[in-house]
Amino acid sequence: MIVTAARIRATRWPTVRPWIGLAARLGLATVWLVAGAAKVGDLAASGRAVNAYQVMPYDVATVIGAALPFMELALGLILLLGLATRLAAGVSAALLVVFVTGIVSAWSRGLSIDCGCFGSGGQLAAGQAPSYLPEILRDLGFLALAGFLLIWPRTPVSVDGWLTGEPAVEDEDE
Amino acid sequence: MSSRKGQRNAARVVREQLARERRRKRALWTSVGAVVVLVIAGMIGWSVWSSQRPHEFTAPRGANDAGTGIVIGSGPVTIDLYEDYLCPACKQFQQVSGATIDQLVSAGKARVVFHPVAYLNRFSTTEYSTRSSAASGCAAQGGKFKEFTDVLFARQPPEGSAGLSNDELIDIGAGVGLNRDDFGSCVKDGTYKPWTAKVTEDASRSGVNSTPTIKVNGKEVADRSPAGITAAVEAAGK
Repeated sequence: MIVTAARIRATRWPTVRPWIGLAARLGLATVWLVAGAAKVGDLAASGRAVNAYQVMPYDVATVIGAALPFMELALGLILLLGLATRLAAGVSAALLVVFVTGIVSAWSRGLSIDCGCFGSGGQLAAGQAPSYLPEILRDLGFLALAGFLLIWPRTPVSVDGWLTGEPAVEDEDE
Repeated sequence: MSSRKGQRNAARVVREQLARERRRKRALWTSVGAVVVLVIAGMIGWSVWSSQRPHEFTAPRGANDAGTGIVIGSGPVTIDLYEDYLCPACKQFQQVSGATIDQLVSAGKARVVFHPVAYLNRFSTTEYSTRSSAASGCAAQGGKFKEFTDVLFARQPPEGSAGLSNDELIDIGAGVGLNRDDFGSCVKDGTYKPWTAKVTEDASRSGVNSTPTIKVNGKEVADRSPAGITAAVEAAGK
């Protein structure tokens, strides 16, 4: 019984995997597009949110705060199209690791801030408790999506697939 | 027979190698393209932000030397108030501790530097934080900053709304004794919007991340109650 179950799983995996990949790609694209769109309207506020972490000088924080929303939007668009998926997943993973590190560092230094992940951000009002743990768990979830795409970047309905002219299903050589 | 099969095999291997090489090249170029797109996006963000930054501004009458706030009173201890006219906690703070601060000022113990920052533009549909702050600059120019500020907090619109219209702001200004024509054109032209940007930028730079923030002689006061502020002013005045 165990053997047959494993065999079924083994035969199913190659057909299921690309669709999981597609879901991961579109999910991650949505995350970046929403995060970027929430911040792009008020770049000064985005800079303040970065500055609230108190890890870099104000002028550097404002530059990052201004550049980040546009880069998030571009990353979302690239993932939506399925262009250079492995690279986009790698950049996503790197950004998420930086975000998680930032939140952990804010937590460990006892700062009372909003992560500013989806707009707002900055110091919390008196009596408002920070929600660092849910923020970290959420980012780790996104990191899992990025990790999946990093390992299996081939997904259906992608520019990558169209360029190489190959179905996403086979291809184990990369 | 077997040698022909070998040739065919060899040709297939070569074809596969060429195909693999082509794929590798395409993957490389798409990656380069994606990196270029990301870098350009970041640079767009940076240049948009630089164009939004305050470049030249004129501070209204009654501003401090740096032009980053309006001075009320002349006591020896300085109370810096960083507030956004849309911020509910600021309204609450004004209701609870406003009278105490007024007393400290009128008793000659402290002077207030009020920084009308525009932190909450995202929470109105018409950038009310910037418009109200710039209007307060017009009121300061007309010598009625304190009166105008008090009415703005009393009539604070809810977060997420369109806020008070420019016409409503002008009515409030006229109501506290400002010249309707001068004040009206100042509000409509957004004369002090660059000043608002300067005030906001300066507050961000000095580490003010939320409103209200209250500093007494440069030190942030955590206890914003009347007793807390009185104690902080007394301690600083010694």
